[in-house]
Amino acid sequence: MDNTFLQNKKLLLVDDEPKLLEMVTAILSDEGFGNIVTAVSVKEGISAVQNEKPDLAILDVMLPDGDGFSLMQQIRTFSDMPVIFLTAKDEAADRLSGLGLGADDYIAKPFLPQELLFRIYAVLRRCYKEDTPFINLDGCTIDFGRAEVHKAGKTIPLTAKEHIFLETLARSEGRIVTVDTLCEALWGDNPFGYENSLNAHVRRIREKIEADPSNPVSLITVKGLGYKLNTRK
Amino acid sequence: MKSLGKYISKYLASFAGLVLILLFINCLAFAWTFYGVVTKDYGGFSPQNMLEAAAESASLEGISDEISGQLKTNHIWAVYLDMEGDRVWDVDAPDEIPEHFTVQDVAVFAKGYLAGYPVFIRNTDDGMLVLGYPQDSYMKLPSNYYSLRSIKTFPFFVMRILAADLAILFLAYYYSKRKILKNAEPIITSIVTLGNGRPASLSMHGELSGIADSVNKASAILSRQNQARANWISGVSHDIRTPLSMIMGYAERIAHENSADSHIRREAEIIRQQSVKIRELVQDLNLVSSLEYEMQPIHKIPVSLAGLLRSYTAELLNTGLPGKYSINIGITPAAETVLFDCDARLISRAVGNLVQNSISHNPDGCDIALALDCTDESISLSVSDNGIGLSTEKLKELNEKPHYMESTDDRLDLRHGLGLILVRQITDAHSGTMKIESEYQKGCKAILNFPIDGGN
Repeated sequence: MDNTFLQNKKLLLVDDEPKLLEMVTAILSDEGFGNIVTAVSVKEGISAVQNEKPDLAILDVMLPDGDGFSLMQQIRTFSDMPVIFLTAKDEAADRLSGLGLGADDYIAKPFLPQELLFRIYAVLRRCYKEDTPFINLDGCTIDFGRAEVHKAGKTIPLTAKEHIFLETLARSEGRIVTVDTLCEALWGDNPFGYENSLNAHVRRIREKIEADPSNPVSLITVKGLGYKLNTRK
Repeated sequence: MKSLGKYISKYLASFAGLVLILLFINCLAFAWTFYGVVTKDYGGFSPQNMLEAAAESASLEGISDEISGQLKTNHIWAVYLDMEGDRVWDVDAPDEIPEHFTVQDVAVFAKGYLAGYPVFIRNTDDGMLVLGYPQDSYMKLPSNYYSLRSIKTFPFFVMRILAADLAILFLAYYYSKRKILKNAEPIITSIVTLGNGRPASLSMHGELSGIADSVNKASAILSRQNQARANWISGVSHDIRTPLSMIMGYAERIAHENSADSHIRREAEIIRQQSVKIRELVQDLNLVSSLEYEMQPIHKIPVSLAGLLRSYTAELLNTGLPGKYSINIGITPAAETVLFDCDARLISRAVGNLVQNSISHNPDGCDIALALDCTDESISLSVSDNGIGLSTEKLKELNEKPHYMESTDDRLDLRHGLGLILVRQITDAHSGTMKIESEYQKGCKAILNFPIDGGN
């Protein structure tokens, strides 16, 4: 999938360890993120948010002049920007208080660069989905803004459920999404007994997006687990 | 508690036994002490014998020299009265003894004393023999009469008193035992709790409050030590995380750096993989210690284990499982819809550790299978592989020997890691059981069983 529009987002990193900031900046730059701001304290973080208006903040919890939770609360008084906690605190209670404040994700150190990138992409895609109306699949393009599939010169409309289904898969493109996650996205909290409906949706979506629906290459079944959506750059 | 009851019974019973033995000893001591007196009193010169002997030889004419000698050596005096009350003769009678006695005089001294001397009388054919003993030798009871009825009821009375005493003793025993048990119960309970390494709190009033204070103090020390240990472990594992992030981050960057030498990239990949192992260890260590010392509350909510297994497996495949391994899940229709009250992160961690065990013990690859089944009473979750398995000794050791974390024996093999101990702790925290089955060269299977109430 083309991630350029996500890599243009401005990211704010707040951590009290300059060497870690240096490394994460390097990882993000390697990946193509060109717009990175760093801060080493709550005070610097606040002014960076106000002056630089980043699109995503990645916050440490332990900071020299306060903690990341209160930094997030202060940010929330004037901004709804997405926030990811990246912290050495791995207690269930910390995780709960971070997510309870409305953080979009909570990543415990130590982390692998690939994991960090995946989580950043997932949050950015979810929060800025209106920025990316199109994704390219093998043989077709999905326009999420208009809920349409463009295949071989034809325009095929998507139903609301199909739209949610594809959007959920696209957010984790190339990765397996379980039937549980999909059913929950489609039908809510108690997703029991929807297997047949889910299969029916998958059949209809394949007819819309696949060149050969009986040999799918984009919407792949992973037996016993769920589905994954292969995109094309 | 039961053993305490027995203990108290035993000691109260031996106390009662001691009381009986004491009574017996008292009787013996009594007999021993008074035997001499009794034999003396009732021996040859007792009033009984002396009267007998003297009456035989006494008459109006006098008394034999032999008896008279005996009386004198024993400081006994004698008078002989005729029918008129006149003194006929005497042996050593003191001056204050009159020559003539009226009927009233006789009636009075016959029962008791004559001029302060205890006297004993005997009627003979011709008159009356009176023996006077030294003033400090005998005490006489002038009014010793009892009603016949009281004499007759005396044995019954003694029996009843004995029975009543026994009953009172038994009641006292019974209530003492109950009271001791009642007071001791919280103490015993909290000591047992302390013995299991858990903090206990005891509130007591009265004489036993000192014990309660000591128990609470011991408990406070224990909690403080546990807390300190857990804090220490959590602090160390916290401080390792940031530097480890950098090692992992740079190792991965080097491993993917196209301009670097291939062997440098390979070595960077090894650093990355080993760092991931350290990460697992750090996370396990922190979890093990917080579960062990109950520092971390367990957040139980109804969770679909089927969904949990799928999401774990999807995550494992998404982060990349080497091609030599395969993973499959089998979930029975009954288990598909069951909700289990549990801490999803912990259960997921347990499954993860079992899968990681299969992976790390089978470097040449293996097929891993996750299975979920459930009955009305329990859920069974198993992780199995078809790898090299465990030898019989290794399996036995795993099931019997304590983990090095739980043992002070430093000869134990330290290569087990923390994986299994954490799985066991998580299983315990959900009231479940863990069983490991294995056949050498044929694979290994870990089965977790959790009880559920009320089915789905």
